[in-house]
Amino acid sequence: MTEFIIRRTLQSVLVLFLITLVTFGLIHAAPGGPFQIMLAPGLSPEAMEIQAHNMGLDKPLPMQYLSWLGNLLQGDLGYTFKNHVPIGEIIWPTVKNTFILMSVAWLLTLVIAIPWGIYNSTKEYSLSDQTASFISYIGFAMPTFWFGIILQQIFSIKLDLLPLADMYSMDKEGQFGDLMLHLVLPVTVLTLGFLAAYVKYSRSSMMEVLNQDYIRTARAKGVQEGKVIYKHALRNALIPIITIIALDLPLLVAGAAITESVFNWPGMGRLFVQMAVAREYSVLMAITLLTAVIVIFGNLLADLLYAVVDPRVQLGKRGGRSA
Amino acid sequence: MSEANLQTSTVIPQVEVQASKPLKRPPGPWRTAWSKFRRNPYAVTGLVVLLIFIIGGAAAPWLTKYDPAKIDMMFVNVKAGTDGHLLGTDELGRDIFARLLYSARISLTVGFSVAAGSVIIGAIIGSISGFFGGFIDTCFMRLVDVMNSIPLLFLNILVLAIFGTEFRYMIIVLILTSWMSVARLVRGMFLQLREMQYVEAARAIGVSNLGIIFKHLLRNASFPIIVNATLMVGSAILSESALSYLGLGIQAPKTSWGLMLSNAQEFMLVDPLQAVYPGVCILLVVLAVNFIGDGIQDSLNPRQKMSERRIDRWRKSFLKSKI
Repeated sequence: MTEFIIRRTLQSVLVLFLITLVTFGLIHAAPGGPFQIMLAPGLSPEAMEIQAHNMGLDKPLPMQYLSWLGNLLQGDLGYTFKNHVPIGEIIWPTVKNTFILMSVAWLLTLVIAIPWGIYNSTKEYSLSDQTASFISYIGFAMPTFWFGIILQQIFSIKLDLLPLADMYSMDKEGQFGDLMLHLVLPVTVLTLGFLAAYVKYSRSSMMEVLNQDYIRTARAKGVQEGKVIYKHALRNALIPIITIIALDLPLLVAGAAITESVFNWPGMGRLFVQMAVAREYSVLMAITLLTAVIVIFGNLLADLLYAVVDPRVQLGKRGGRSA
Repeated sequence: MSEANLQTSTVIPQVEVQASKPLKRPPGPWRTAWSKFRRNPYAVTGLVVLLIFIIGGAAAPWLTKYDPAKIDMMFVNVKAGTDGHLLGTDELGRDIFARLLYSARISLTVGFSVAAGSVIIGAIIGSISGFFGGFIDTCFMRLVDVMNSIPLLFLNILVLAIFGTEFRYMIIVLILTSWMSVARLVRGMFLQLREMQYVEAARAIGVSNLGIIFKHLLRNASFPIIVNATLMVGSAILSESALSYLGLGIQAPKTSWGLMLSNAQEFMLVDPLQAVYPGVCILLVVLAVNFIGDGIQDSLNPRQKMSERRIDRWRKSFLKSKI
């Protein structure tokens, strides 16, 4: 176990190192250099050189990379180009907002999807199963932002029931009830998207278990059908579901760029899009890295959980899990 | 009882006589798959809908007399049906029907070229990885790990923000973020196929490595690759529309369904129907493509209705283009 954790962590560190290289390289491949935008326009060439020197931009690229990496390891994400604000101060509040939105949507999905998928696995081709299938097909083919726009039109413009966008109304900053009202539409949009995958997932993993020999044995021994489903099958069916849950955990922080943009939710995804339009490269770099760290951690967690909940799995011998 | 036996035994020989009539030529794998595909109503409907969109996009100049980019402030927000504007005009007096047709061109071009590009890159990397194995395989698979650890929507936005929102950059970046699933698939198939006896036989009669890869292995892996590519068309169209909606994809005066939706959201109060048309188009095209992909999959392997791989792929496409 310990050996596996160490090996897997080292692997993650290597992947992370490569990601810092890729991000840094990408940003320095920008035409005209990434920091062009940083230098005030209309400066004389000499003044520009002095400013570039002060910011350490005249050093060779590998040196710049090392000093950036060094700062990063000390938790210093750097400053924005415009206004020179510490990047950490911009990012952390949005992380909290994203977490509120995503955790509500995700928990709602799990509560609906897992029991529904299990129910469908016992009633194949029933009305409920067909409905789930229909939702999956529509959910996967429909652009989320379009669904969001349509919901906005119906529920906030036509019926005037729910707020159009944002996290709080103008004068109700920080009130819980107001937050809940603002959550309804974006959570609906996100939940439909998640639901499409999760219902199918729990159904198929349950179906697979129900086809196993030990289920037939249990039935042959005369175990009640309810006990077969909920005691023998469910426990085994939950293993792949738990893995996929761990794989999706990073989303709670990494956010929903598109949904947040539609509903003007002040989360990290929307921040990323805004910063991309404003070409604030260092913020983009920081967010990409932050999310990559969380995703890698989620993958590691998924691997460990898989081994913990399923004693048949021997750590390190399970090659090629599609992450 | 014996009477029933007698009846069935008299029927069976007749059927066998009919079935044993000599065929002109045994149908090849393509013909068999096509005849099964033809009997799947969803897949055929999907094919028809896709063909309508392809023809609509290709014949756009003959189907409408309006230029999709022409701004006409005399005819702003005209109702549907007036003065030859089939679906009316938008807030700048551009004909909506014309914009829909020309957007179909953009979306389908993105969809098919991204699918083709990622199949080529994925097949090359996957076959090298799966055929030769060893160190080179480890390197490529770590690369896939790195790619899967960066949130791909963020990576797309990052690259477009750095290099500018040109059409070709968008296609390239979408290819570079979608080849991984094909590479994994091809590698997995090659690992199985390369142990087959016909590969050994081919090697024994002196076929070169390249010959084995192209003539034997890739050809045997071609059906799953095609299924994967078909489903990729849909997710590329969704990615394109999402990026255009966020303002990082197609830019005016060019037109795209995602761009039309982001306009429509601004003018929601004036004409809510403007937000409906482009979304319905995206939904229909992606549904059509997904039905075709599922049809192909079922015609190859009818028992495997909803494979885990497909759900996993769906989930990834959701994370990439829709969340």
